[in-house]
Amino acid sequence: MIFEERQIEKNNFSSRAILLFSLIILGLVAVLIQVFSLQISGYSDYQLAALKNKNYTVPVQSLRGEIFDRNGKVLIKNEPTFDLITRPNLILDIDSFLDEIKPVIYLSETETSRYRKLHKEKAFVNKELVLKKDLSDEEIARFNVRSFNFQNAFIAKRFRRISDHPDIFSHVLGYTSRSDDDFNSISEIPRSHWKDAELVYAHGLIKGRTGLEEIYDEQLSGRYGKRVYEMNARGQLVQSLSLTKGEQGSDLYTNLDIDAQKSAAKFLGNRKGAVVAIDLDAGGINVLYSSPAYSINKLSNGMNEDEFQTLIDDPNKPFFNRALQGRYPPASTIKPAIGMYGLSNNIVNWDFEMKDPGFFTLPETGRIFRGWRKGGHGKVNMRKAFLVSSNTYFFSLAYQANITELSNYLSNLGFGQKVCLDCFDEDQAFVPTPEWKYSMMNAGWVKGDTVNLGIGQGYLVATPMQLANYASILATKGQFVEPSLVAAGNQKKSFKTWQDKGFDDSDWSKMHQALLGVIESDFGTARSIRDLKEFQVAGKSGTAELVSLDSKEAYQEVRTSELLRDHSIIIAFGPMPNPRYAVSVVIENGESGGAVAGPVAIEVLKSLINE
Amino acid sequence: MNKSFQRIYFDPYLFFSLFLLSTLGLFFLFSASNSDISLILKQVVYVITGFIIMILVSQPDPDIFRRTSGLFLIFALLLLGITYLFGPEINGAQRWVRLGPFSFQSSELLKLAVPIFLANFLFDKKLPIQRKEIIFSLLIIFCCFFFVFRQPDLGTALIIACSGLFVLFLSGLSWSFIGGSFVLLIISSPFIWNILLQPFQRQRIATFFNPDSDPFGASWNIIQSKVAIGSGGLLGKGYGEGSQTQLNFLPETETDFIFSVIGEEFGFLGVLLLISIYLFILLRCFYLALSARDRFCRLVIGGLSLTFAANLIINLCMVVGLLPVVGMPLPFISKGGSSLLSLFIAFGIIVSMGTHKKFLPQ
Repeated sequence: MIFEERQIEKNNFSSRAILLFSLIILGLVAVLIQVFSLQISGYSDYQLAALKNKNYTVPVQSLRGEIFDRNGKVLIKNEPTFDLITRPNLILDIDSFLDEIKPVIYLSETETSRYRKLHKEKAFVNKELVLKKDLSDEEIARFNVRSFNFQNAFIAKRFRRISDHPDIFSHVLGYTSRSDDDFNSISEIPRSHWKDAELVYAHGLIKGRTGLEEIYDEQLSGRYGKRVYEMNARGQLVQSLSLTKGEQGSDLYTNLDIDAQKSAAKFLGNRKGAVVAIDLDAGGINVLYSSPAYSINKLSNGMNEDEFQTLIDDPNKPFFNRALQGRYPPASTIKPAIGMYGLSNNIVNWDFEMKDPGFFTLPETGRIFRGWRKGGHGKVNMRKAFLVSSNTYFFSLAYQANITELSNYLSNLGFGQKVCLDCFDEDQAFVPTPEWKYSMMNAGWVKGDTVNLGIGQGYLVATPMQLANYASILATKGQFVEPSLVAAGNQKKSFKTWQDKGFDDSDWSKMHQALLGVIESDFGTARSIRDLKEFQVAGKSGTAELVSLDSKEAYQEVRTSELLRDHSIIIAFGPMPNPRYAVSVVIENGESGGAVAGPVAIEVLKSLINE
Repeated sequence: MNKSFQRIYFDPYLFFSLFLLSTLGLFFLFSASNSDISLILKQVVYVITGFIIMILVSQPDPDIFRRTSGLFLIFALLLLGITYLFGPEINGAQRWVRLGPFSFQSSELLKLAVPIFLANFLFDKKLPIQRKEIIFSLLIIFCCFFFVFRQPDLGTALIIACSGLFVLFLSGLSWSFIGGSFVLLIISSPFIWNILLQPFQRQRIATFFNPDSDPFGASWNIIQSKVAIGSGGLLGKGYGEGSQTQLNFLPETETDFIFSVIGEEFGFLGVLLLISIYLFILLRCFYLALSARDRFCRLVIGGLSLTFAANLIINLCMVVGLLPVVGMPLPFISKGGSSLLSLFIAFGIIVSMGTHKKFLPQ
């Protein structure tokens, strides 16, 4: 090859080599630009994506607050129990492990089969698995002695929600149960992670379902913490990276009174009914009892199906909270309100007297409304009408009432309204109006309806809670505080003043005198309870008829069916003359108000006052 | 006595940069393999053997490679045939041949044999190269490509084709021919897509163009690789601290995706350093090619170093998401003896071609 040709060839090679190497360098630059855009421009996105890959966040449960009565005695506490927890990833042979542990811990067939089912899955992802809940002291002792044999298991403390008085505070405290729909409380933890929550309670993620547990659930539960695990691509937990502690729930200081609630339960016995008592200074609800009740301990900590079904099927309806939801005709206990209405509207005055022949005849139709006593009470004025509970007097008063005004008057006294500030599922019961009757029954309001209202029968119904609230208005002469379960400080208190220009201080003291006479005088309908106590008590009893009858004889027939017997009702407050507590008692099918409901009210007042 | 007997043929620039590269490679591999000591020890043996082989291969005169190039190609094809007949099937592909206690990926040899053979065939031809020479060369290239492609091993087959085409191009292929074949390639692309490519290869290409179509399936690898690199940031997460790598979100960390490990743990600066070393090696090869003693040496150095570069670029583009996923290791860093040894042999030949100077007749 001649020199020139070699030079041409060499130049040709050089230019082509330069071209190819330039392309290569271009390729490397393209790679660098792409890496730059990933690592520098897109850094925050990709860093987040990498964290999302590996970080597995689970919620960490916090201890719920405890609940106390007004004297600081515990109503619901967190009681530690002990569970046996295993680390399935360290258990290589499940059969020999179970054989080894069986002499130490009693295991039922269902427990072992459940364990076998979940073992493999938990082992793979390095998660823990509960083998046995609520170990006995013996089991704990046996395990602790042999714990060196079981590197793959340990005992952990798990709490239970326990009340020392589970059967008397059932409705007011309420129960907790496992919740599967609490995901929204920490939005950054995905739904699927909640099954791996770190638990403090043996029953998992619990939530208040009824009563105070529900009403104050947020305050009681505190806040979840978070634990972040490092997770690998196969979903195995590698290590715990961080723990953000939650916030323990705050304790709840209630106005409830253990001793008073106990006497309400004791004296109501196994009869159906309800007792509500209110502290007049603070509006605190000291007693809120409904009978029959059920055990919140069992319900909160896993009641078996059969037991639960028995409660549901019980004809006495133990789950029904009679104190807040029972709708009862107030019967004669409404008479003070009717009297107040008559006085303030100048229909009657304290001196007005009329003859009570034992019945009232409606002028328009000639329909006869009977009193409870044949032959009547002779001449009655307002005071005597209260004492002897004259129906005729109040029939005739109501006859002169304007029904719309009277309905409003009753509403202002709390009837037909929710009156408790923090009660669970309170019913507002009912005050009838002509509009209501027209729309519901397609019939016009007649005078007879108003007359019936005058003795608390007919369409008017009230809850024991409303009756207690009404009693507290009467007791405080209108200067009452809205009732609430939780002590001041936890909840804004509202001091309400009931006002009626036509009803002044002298009316109030006469009213108190009259209601005092119902129990303390020789003529009072509730005088039978006069000697049960050392202090003086004012009140009004009532007997709510479930069947409207014209004669005593007919009632004797009705009595044979227990469920048709009259309800016995009383409202009372004391000690007079400066009352501190008001109470209402309803006993279903208890018959005569003063004699049946009266003693329960007195016992509750006694335990409140003598403290 | 001839002076050349007293001389050891050795290029310090290439030697030290390769030494740096493969040492870094061992270091990276340790982290990428979740600290697998036995794997690293094996790799250390390969690296040391590789350096010894490189130095040995650098010594013979280029003429010896030239004269034996035909035999070398036949030997390589024979090994390929043996692989086809007796090689064990691993993951649906026959790529390995057993030689006593060692197994060797037979296609690796073709990466060397094809460019050397073509350089020998073309170095004394007059410019421009004639049609029948081109056809012969293309036939050789296509056959070798096809045999490896059928194993199947698309990555290596592409590299082999590149190695031959680079030599053909460097030896003076006319531009009109290049233009013509480019048009032909575009026209025949539907045929390649439908007939030649395996279903899984088609899927890889499809997911490349639409990575969100199947984030937990086909595009998982590339998504995780991007997340690994991107989350490395400027300085990286630190050695052994890459969560994508250590927690196995990143696939194939020891082989194809080792660059993502480096990106994650050492960040942009680490990537910059690594690419600089590669660039330095390539520039040194470029210099050696230009200053080589004759056309044959120039073609061989050019062909081998560009093959190395193509190998590198394809791997990098794949892991950063610029190309569809093809199995291709990162040269001198990824795990694996065969590719490492064939690289060291290639650089041994480059050093031999680049350092032997023609002595003028005395």
